[in-house]
Amino acid sequence: MIWFATLAILAGVLVSLSRQINGRLALSTSAMESSFWNHLVGLVFITCVALAVGGLFAGTPAAAPWWAYLGGIVGVVFIAAGSWLIARIGAAQTALLIIAGQMISGVVLDIIMGAPGNLWARALGVALILAGMWVAQGRKV
Amino acid sequence: MSQPELSNHPLHFAAAFGAGGLLSLMVLFNGTLAAYGSLFFASWVPHLTGTFAAILFLLVLRPKRAQIARPPLWVYLGGVSGAVTVMLTSATMNSALALSGTIALGLAGQMAFSLLADIRGLFGLPQRMPVRRDFVALGLIIAGSLILIFFGSST
Repeated sequence: MIWFATLAILAGVLVSLSRQINGRLALSTSAMESSFWNHLVGLVFITCVALAVGGLFAGTPAAAPWWAYLGGIVGVVFIAAGSWLIARIGAAQTALLIIAGQMISGVVLDIIMGAPGNLWARALGVALILAGMWVAQGRKV
Repeated sequence: MSQPELSNHPLHFAAAFGAGGLLSLMVLFNGTLAAYGSLFFASWVPHLTGTFAAILFLLVLRPKRAQIARPPLWVYLGGVSGAVTVMLTSATMNSALALSGTIALGLAGQMAFSLLADIRGLFGLPQRMPVRRDFVALGLIIAGSLILIFFGSST
């Protein structure tokens, strides 16, 4: 359990690390070029690991709905945005606002897709996040 | 090396918040792929299509390179760190932590390391000392997020 908890925390650290490295690359090139290298290098890495481990095409990937294949296009914009923002509002502020956006849009998506959920918990969670964003916005540079 | 000024422009806030919305879509798309194919496949496909999408964006937008001097080689390794993340989370998601525990601990790791990076100005990025207001915002947003993760949905 401790082992898995450590891995989960490490995953979060790596998210931040990746954004910092990409942000540094964007300082020398551009946010979109940084996003390109992030995807290309990641692709080569995953291909190598998948070839070593096997099972890349296991399951029935062809049966997935067509829109499930659009993640990469969204991802390119997402990585470019993070690389651009981190040098401008800092790593912590970037991470915090992305989390806020992810959480609130997650609630909206859940409601659109009709996922069951606790209305009061959702309302309280969204209210706390909006309050936090309001506090963050009041900061002097 | 010249760096952009740190700011708290509302546009930057809106952009970061909007990027979080994109992340939700990515999780939905890639998660759906993982339901049909392997976890490798669910990470491999978006990296493949993303590489081509980035080339198209670069051809259309033709962004200027900020500096002529070549950056050090390690700055090209961000993608490895991102790819390892996917593998770690797919391992912990299937442990006793489940999805909610994986997300919650991931948020903790992400915020702790981001604060450290800001305080130390790691990796050639601007240094930014957090003030009390930042910790209030952090507390509110993380509290709201934990409520949504653990109590917001019945799954």
